Amino acid sequence: MSGKIDRRNFLKIMGLGGAGTALGGCDLPSTVTLEEGKEEVVSYLMPEEYVIPGVGVWYASTCAQCAAGCGIHGRVREGRVLKLEGNPDSSMNHGKICMMGQSGVQAHYNPDRIKTPMLREGGNLVAVSWEKAVGAIQEKLSAANGDQVAWFTGTLSGHQAALVSNHLEALGSRKHYIHEPINASVWQAVNKDMLGEAMPRLRLDKAQMILSFGADFLGTWISPVHFSGEYAKFRKQKRRGLLVTIEPKMSLTGANSDLWIPAIPGTEGVIALGIAHQLVKNHSKDMSSLPASVQGLINKYDAATTAKIAGIDEKRIQRIAELLVERSPSLVLAGAPVEGQAKGYASVAAVMLLNQLLGNIGQTIESQGSFPFNQLKAKTGGTSDLFSFVETAKNKQLSVVFFYGTNPKFTAPKAMEMDSALNDVPFKVAISMFMDETSMAADVVLPAASYLEDWGTHVAAYQPQQTAISMQQPLMEKLYAETRGFGDIVLDLLKVAKKDVYSAFADYYAYLKNAHAALPAEYKEAGMTDGDAWSAALQKGLVNVATGSMSLPVKPVSFGDPAPADSGGKFAYHFVPSARLGMWDGRHANLPWIQEAPDQITKVVWDSWAEIHPLTAQKLGIKNGSIINVESEHGTAKVQAVLIKAIHPDVIAIPMGQGHEEYGRYAKGRGANPLKLLNPVKEETTGELAMYATRVNASPTSQKEVVVRLGASDTQAGRRFVVTVPVEQYQRTEGA
Amino acid sequence: MSLENLLGNWSQYRKGHEEGGFHDYKHLWGMAIDLDICIGCNACATACYAENNLAVVGKERFEKGQAMHWLRLERYWDQNELDHPAQGASFLPMMCQQCDAATCEPVCPVAATYHTPDGLNAQVYNRCIGSRYCSNNCPYRNRYFNFYSYYEDSWPEPLNMQLNPDLTVRDKGVMEKCTFCVQRIRVAKDNAKMENRPVADGEAMTACAQACPTNAIVFGDYMDKDSQVAKLWKKHQVKLRLTKQNKENPELRGYRIFEELNVDPSVMYLERVREEV
Amino acid sequence: MYNEKDINEQIAWAKINADVLRSMENPRKGYWLAVLICVLMLICAAFAEYIQYTTGMGPANLNNPHMWGMYISTFVFWIGMSHSGTLLSAILHIIHADWRKPIYRFAEAMTTFSLMTAGLFPIIHLGRVWNMYWVLPYVSDRGHWPNFRSPLVWDAFAISTYLSASMLFLFIGMIPDLAICRDNAKGWRKKLYTVLSLGWMGTDRQWRNFRKTYLLMACFLIPLAVSVHSIVSADFAMSIMPGWHVTTFPPYFVAGALYSGCAAIITLFVLLRYFFRFEEYMTTPIMEKTCKLTFAIAMVWTYLNLVEFCSVWYGHDIYNKEVLIAKATGPYAWVFWIMIFCGSVVPFTLAVQKLRRHMPTMFVVSLLLNLSMFFERWMIVAPTLSMSHDPHQWDIMYASVVQWAIVFGSFGWFGLLFLVFVKIFPSVSMYEVKEMVFHRRRHLVNEEAAARFHRRKDDSQTTTGEPGLEGA
Repeated sequence: MSGKIDRRNFLKIMGLGGAGTALGGCDLPSTVTLEEGKEEVVSYLMPEEYVIPGVGVWYASTCAQCAAGCGIHGRVREGRVLKLEGNPDSSMNHGKICMMGQSGVQAHYNPDRIKTPMLREGGNLVAVSWEKAVGAIQEKLSAANGDQVAWFTGTLSGHQAALVSNHLEALGSRKHYIHEPINASVWQAVNKDMLGEAMPRLRLDKAQMILSFGADFLGTWISPVHFSGEYAKFRKQKRRGLLVTIEPKMSLTGANSDLWIPAIPGTEGVIALGIAHQLVKNHSKDMSSLPASVQGLINKYDAATTAKIAGIDEKRIQRIAELLVERSPSLVLAGAPVEGQAKGYASVAAVMLLNQLLGNIGQTIESQGSFPFNQLKAKTGGTSDLFSFVETAKNKQLSVVFFYGTNPKFTAPKAMEMDSALNDVPFKVAISMFMDETSMAADVVLPAASYLEDWGTHVAAYQPQQTAISMQQPLMEKLYAETRGFGDIVLDLLKVAKKDVYSAFADYYAYLKNAHAALPAEYKEAGMTDGDAWSAALQKGLVNVATGSMSLPVKPVSFGDPAPADSGGKFAYHFVPSARLGMWDGRHANLPWIQEAPDQITKVVWDSWAEIHPLTAQKLGIKNGSIINVESEHGTAKVQAVLIKAIHPDVIAIPMGQGHEEYGRYAKGRGANPLKLLNPVKEETTGELAMYATRVNASPTSQKEVVVRLGASDTQAGRRFVVTVPVEQYQRTEGA
Repeated sequence: MSLENLLGNWSQYRKGHEEGGFHDYKHLWGMAIDLDICIGCNACATACYAENNLAVVGKERFEKGQAMHWLRLERYWDQNELDHPAQGASFLPMMCQQCDAATCEPVCPVAATYHTPDGLNAQVYNRCIGSRYCSNNCPYRNRYFNFYSYYEDSWPEPLNMQLNPDLTVRDKGVMEKCTFCVQRIRVAKDNAKMENRPVADGEAMTACAQACPTNAIVFGDYMDKDSQVAKLWKKHQVKLRLTKQNKENPELRGYRIFEELNVDPSVMYLERVREEV
Repeated sequence: MYNEKDINEQIAWAKINADVLRSMENPRKGYWLAVLICVLMLICAAFAEYIQYTTGMGPANLNNPHMWGMYISTFVFWIGMSHSGTLLSAILHIIHADWRKPIYRFAEAMTTFSLMTAGLFPIIHLGRVWNMYWVLPYVSDRGHWPNFRSPLVWDAFAISTYLSASMLFLFIGMIPDLAICRDNAKGWRKKLYTVLSLGWMGTDRQWRNFRKTYLLMACFLIPLAVSVHSIVSADFAMSIMPGWHVTTFPPYFVAGALYSGCAAIITLFVLLRYFFRFEEYMTTPIMEKTCKLTFAIAMVWTYLNLVEFCSVWYGHDIYNKEVLIAKATGPYAWVFWIMIFCGSVVPFTLAVQKLRRHMPTMFVVSLLLNLSMFFERWMIVAPTLSMSHDPHQWDIMYASVVQWAIVFGSFGWFGLLFLVFVKIFPSVSMYEVKEMVFHRRRHLVNEEAAARFHRRKDDSQTTTGEPGLEGA
């Protein structure tokens, strides 16, 4: 059998089943021919003779299921990728990946993948050839000028980010909208102002105590797998680390804390200032370097005032301050509930102020150091670009927009009028693996290869102790011949826009290989050829990067009073569009494993639900399983109520992820999308969407259904299943 | 003839029945799960779906209690007298405990579930006739029955290409359960055998232990005294073949669930720790 | 108060033959209607089984904790029904309770047919029915044997042994009657009875051999009957599940079995008496005796229930106690209380002579008793599954339409077998009724002779030459 084998034959051989595969396997080429007559790409690193039928071989790559950028190993057997595991060489995830990473194969093999390019003709999307689709795009691009072209993406990094930047630059546009509904944008903004670095390194393993204001670092915050590993170290210190969580609805992190305190979203900043007050007044922490306005705020929030606003016991605030002093160094974090307010910046700043007062900076908060390749750095985003996109689009200032890795039609609140904004963009190109809501609205849909079929490099925004560029390589032949890698698509656009530079590269692979060869000499072992170094990088799955050492200069930041102002009017309850590890922002709703995996806290599967405290439910006449209407100023969601004590009584939470109108058989028409209910409130300083600032009412309907969930009993019924022992006992036996 | 075989090996056969399985183990695969650092993230359960070709049954069948999760992550609330669970949730990864005196084994009418010389409680899918007695007699309720044929519903093309060829897709009418990823153990043992060396600790690794981001699940060979799992059992003074542990230091965290039933589970849990604030 | 005889000892033997043979002829419209209903019920079950066979056990609503459901409880129910025949024919035969004679035949038929019904359930409930023969210890080249430690294998042995033994017992007991049928039949029936009566001529030697064989079979069957239900109880008692792992289960099951069997006899007694006009054979005093027997068994059953409750209550095993409390207060409590009411309170009607002589009342009561027994089996199977050691897997399950259809159909199957039986075989033992009449008459004669003797002693004027047996 020749090395030139197309996908159809490739699959046919595999389709022969057991014996056929075993026999044919000897001849199976492990090479991927990207283009007839062009260079043959060794995609599996191993020469052909190493491919033994029946023996799985592991290849390194990078996970793209969220923006954390964990290194993965994929098990490949008989030309199919079967299972993903963490790359043990990656200091990000040390051989571990989360449930979303595990489910990556289901995105890759998803039955609802887009198989051909599509073009809107007479109102409908019809399958067309690549030539025709690209031709239509080029036609529109040539008619548009400068800022009329935009890219709208999720987090991008590595060479993909560089190519997109270059494409925009070549066209003379500055419009790159980056949108991630689950983000840490406000926190990053505060860090930028306070520490000079948006994403400092967090040393959970060195912290004696972590106080988390809604930062779900075990579940959905920045880099959950990395932080989980660090969390284990944090707990296994000589003196077991102490975790205290303050948040409106119990997150995975909250579920693992020694003390979980429910708080009304928006009061976290006040609580932080209340603790700061204690630190200054009772524990002689120095606040003289702080701006006068901040000193004023600290003075204002004594225990009684704080307790009144936040509804938390005074003693608790004093005790937390005491513990923070006692357990030094500590680490204080702020997550989505703190950020998602009109005064989110002030709240986060108040929280980060605690680190400053406690002297954690430089101890548990370190600098990442300077990353030498500026173009490859992660371009992170939040929700502020949703506002700017809608505004620009409505002013008819956009004529061509490329969408990739994000689904704004699904994630934008209804009140933002994203639908009409999209209508105002005359030509929309969606590069996607699936027909999600945004792709359905596009004029051209380009079928993207899955991340397991594609080349790439990734530089995670958050870098662990060892900074690295993570390599992404195809783990198998493309499932569908008509799909193309994202890098290849952008490169093809650049070949037109900037012909002189990019026409030299046959494809994205060649571009990447060339880029790797251009790395400085210290990135290659002595005596290695470029080719060997490239193979070594792929084999390892990452290229370690030496960062320049930097210290964190603590700058005084002044901020306003974070106390919530509005009363909510006729809407009585705070609304929390909570994030769950697994479903994420809804991008994984089409993966059956994710749908069938129970939510970590409520254990509900396959649906949306509203979490309500039993006391509140009793007041509203809602029972467990009642179908209720959750109504905000901008819409109503009909969901099932799940009564749970792990939520503040004034809060109603609906997890993000469900409520898709499109997105394949597993996601479509299931549950409700809480993001649609949100008020389009802007965070005052950063312009982010204040996601936790919406108020709702809930009312029962006459319907009631069984809550479909894992597990019949919430209690152990006297069994010795999970035994909890006091920390003193643990310290005696396993401690210092 | 098998009758000759039966008569010829009668004493051995009887011995096996009297004593219940093997006792000269070469390996005895065991586990230790630290509930203090188990964060309940579900990575283990999803890894199990990926490794073991577990069927996704959908909402309706999940509601009926026909789900196929070999490893379920149980979540309990302990402080019910309070308005809020101030110490968070209690998570418990619950998979087949691979009991050494497994109650499922003697009741199977066709001996489809039996004890391997590796100390595993094996399920022979081909032999199973689906009487479901084993599941009824499992105090952990960790055996899952194929109430339907799932190969079409659960893996529409091309999702079926993900299926692990190292083990079967079970058809309707067959009982199944966690195997401690016996196919991965097999690979490790084969590799060791080919290289003429003993299986190294950490070489055989279940999918759940591999995936656990906090390393709360430790898997290994209990017979290998230097393995991490054996050391943990020793450290926590938990021994096999006891219905009640008599530890020198009763404060050590190790315990086994339902060991008082004399099922002799191979999974040791370590108690969850909480600090009173 | 009521001082009737078990049977009128003056019935002519020819009339007995004629009455019984009449019952086997000329099926009326009602009979065909009954057959039709039974066939329809059976079709329901067949359809449900087809669904289950092709799609798996899922449609039955079985689930993770409830791996067994109504199939197994119905299985136990039918096994229980089968005990009545043995009780009446074998046990009462050995202790010479001759009032059993007019009714034992149909009771015995009931034994066989309910076993034939019961045996279907373990098969229907298998996930892979097509491999059911794997539980049998056949010699295979691969050296596969069933697991002899499993109570389910014992079940297979016990049931098949009991079924073959009770069929044999039924058949042997019928031989003299079949000969009568042969002598009175024409056409295909003649051929059938000729073969089945095995050349019975009624010779002295044949009678002697027959008696011995019959007695031997009776002796053999009694321990079998006790063992079969003990073994069925072992399905539960041998497990470690709370509520199942109970030492008193074997006697409890046997008592329950006899109870439901007796109740079923009362039901069929009333039906046969009414439909076949067997008032002369199935008389009120026999009914009364059956009722008394049933009442005694009901009290034994109630006692054993109490024993179980008390031993669990004072045993302080929390899992067992939980299940017990859940039985009385949990989701299946209504089943439990109906069972207790119908099983322990309703039988007191049997103690009231006026009521037990009233056939319609007894018909209803007997049905209630069997309802209790049906529920009892559900209460054995379901609560333990619904809440065992692991609270995470607690669940409530009610049988689906498919399960109900198969259970429903099993009554059709049983009914059909019975309906076929009563038209092909004599449902009242002719020769034994004749025996009974003979014995009673001789008894009467003896009594009168004794009375005469006394009278003669008192009054020398008494005449002699009263008609005795010779006059019959």
